[in-house]
Amino acid sequence: MNRTVTRRDFLHAAGSLGGSTAVYRAAMGLGLMPVAARAAHPALTIAGRSRKVLILGAGISGLTAAYELNKKGYAVQVLEASFRAGGRNMTVRHGSRIDETGYPQVCNFDDDPDLYFNCGPARIPGHHVNLLGYCKELGVELEPFINDNRNAWVQDDAMFGGKPIRAREYMADSRGFVAELVSKSMKPDQFNAPMTTEDYDRLREYVKYLGTLDPNFKYVGTSNAGLAVHDYTSPEALKTPLDGRELLKSKFMAIMSFGETDDQAAMMMEPVGGMDRVVAGFLRKIGHLVQLESQVQRIRVLPKGVEVTYRHDGEYVTTKADYVLNCIPMHLLAGIEHNFPADYAAGFTAIPRGKLFKIGLQMKERFWESEGIFGGISWTMQDIQQLWYPAHGIHRQKGVILAAYTFDPAAGEKFARLPPAERIKLAIAQGEKIHPGYGSHVETGVTVAWHQMNHMLGCAAQWDEAMYKQWFNKLQAPVGGHYLMGDQVSYHPGWQEGAMASAHHAIADIEARIAAAGTQVARS
Amino acid sequence: MKKFLAACAVIVTLSLLVDPARAGNQFDYCLLCHGANANGNYGIRAPKLSGVEPWYLARQLDNFASGARGAPAEDDGGHEMGPVGMRLQQENIRDAAVQFIGSLDSRRPSPTVKGSVAHGRQLYAACAACHGAKGEGNATLQAPALAARSDWYLATQLANYKKGLRGADERDTYGAQMRAVAATLADDQAVNDVLAYINTLK
Repeated sequence: MNRTVTRRDFLHAAGSLGGSTAVYRAAMGLGLMPVAARAAHPALTIAGRSRKVLILGAGISGLTAAYELNKKGYAVQVLEASFRAGGRNMTVRHGSRIDETGYPQVCNFDDDPDLYFNCGPARIPGHHVNLLGYCKELGVELEPFINDNRNAWVQDDAMFGGKPIRAREYMADSRGFVAELVSKSMKPDQFNAPMTTEDYDRLREYVKYLGTLDPNFKYVGTSNAGLAVHDYTSPEALKTPLDGRELLKSKFMAIMSFGETDDQAAMMMEPVGGMDRVVAGFLRKIGHLVQLESQVQRIRVLPKGVEVTYRHDGEYVTTKADYVLNCIPMHLLAGIEHNFPADYAAGFTAIPRGKLFKIGLQMKERFWESEGIFGGISWTMQDIQQLWYPAHGIHRQKGVILAAYTFDPAAGEKFARLPPAERIKLAIAQGEKIHPGYGSHVETGVTVAWHQMNHMLGCAAQWDEAMYKQWFNKLQAPVGGHYLMGDQVSYHPGWQEGAMASAHHAIADIEARIAAAGTQVARS
Repeated sequence: MKKFLAACAVIVTLSLLVDPARAGNQFDYCLLCHGANANGNYGIRAPKLSGVEPWYLARQLDNFASGARGAPAEDDGGHEMGPVGMRLQQENIRDAAVQFIGSLDSRRPSPTVKGSVAHGRQLYAACAACHGAKGEGNATLQAPALAARSDWYLATQLANYKKGLRGADERDTYGAQMRAVAATLADDQAVNDVLAYINTLK
């Protein structure tokens, strides 16, 4: 049952790969930031009005581009292969259809505004200014999202015989244990100039606070680990610290600082009623430009413009545009007929597809709240990896929890191979180790194997440094009027902010080209 | 809990693939994985289907549906195809799917495997008896054509036969024959050589 999650896998899946990019800065420079972060919309380019842009895919990057270009006066059409818009921004609730190849499901949650499940993106950090800006602009109401909860559980078969402990205990007691050892083993003569004696003393002080040690640099417990009882009529009593050597047996050490990472730290947000409210916000503005159930079969870059053939209602339809913004997942694009240069198309199969997997379960009782858990994540080293407790609908009767969210591709495949009922059975068996009696609360559930979901067949593109070096600039650059887009063409795959950055980059490039062409015409 | 699992089973059998209003679109799912005109997509390791004999497609879909093929967890691609085969059967549209594939514009895939054509030609003698001297296939023997297939897919299947991931189920009698022949290819080099030769067949 034990599985190693490398920090690399973890950070990759969490999408914590990098800071700002040239793309982003370019987009900012060209005034493509949403209202929250900019003073005014850029003026319409006269040339834009007569240009036709065809967008392939109504996910977040496609919708962003359609919305911006429509505002600028371009003639925009969006083709979407699926029966629904949104791409991986997908929320299921009562009656939602989960279109998985081989295993279609219908969501049987009760019809209730709090009973929904975000199958794809589910949280928004405060620095995702584009997404937040669009939420504001499109009237998408936000509420706080609880990501990090020290009261949630950590469970690992490798420590304490698999018995779960509170996250705060793991963190406080392991840090106390390590800090005490470090302070004991630190000697002034180990430090050379320019380290002075005063520096050494300050360092020891710092280590003391880091591990909440007592004045004698001993770790005797801390309220950071939680009090033994919360009875405020009697004196405070600390818990007895857990055995530090036992704590260090757990790979949780790699996940411990999850809630401190750039994209995962408080304060996080979520749209009220589900992440797909973002999609609904875009569709209110440009829904009439989106044509569903239109699967692209062929793309031909022409000397001027791009020709696209798609299937709709069983018929092949061919259309032409000045520019094509292509958000089709690269691993699917590889199966489409095209006339791209070979050294461009080779990139489509060079980046592995993500295989993230999620389960959502409707619980007839919010039993976790009686354990003092209101929102946040419990971590386990089993396949399911995490349990998320809803921060919305607190104290109501029922709730939908996330019962599995795997980062490791092998775990995703393991679940995906099973029929949905078996996936849920496995997740319940593993959840029992965290919450005994867990299964008895389950009413119904949904499973989402992203690499088997129709029109996706994968989650975030799994770039690594070498791939970025070899392929990113090539895939980001246009081929004639054709632009590859989506979170897959960003340094932030797996995040809506990355998808938006790619859309802004493509639009900025098109505008710059049109402006340059206009200047040439004016000069001649 | 039992009731809940039973409900899940019902969901799986729900007919979602066939929507009479969208009947024209129902087989677009095939193209999603297997690419435009079902000429294959190496990006997700989905083989070319267009140009494959209808009787062979039908038999394989039945094998996927029954679990005679694709059941072992290690057979990733086959495993993914299992539930699709089941759906086509449950919804009684297996023949329509096969017919749809037959209507597509088959194109010769580009070779991906490198090997010795000369050595492959010698090895191919063992294949020719059933699959034909030009890899054209033999309906009487139920041996499919090998020419103009996705070579990486043939390599995967030969490996699956050798590993017992295909052709080991007693219901798959033709697969069992093929498994015995695949075992005679000594190593990866032999597999690549014979595929390099098959790539020259027209």
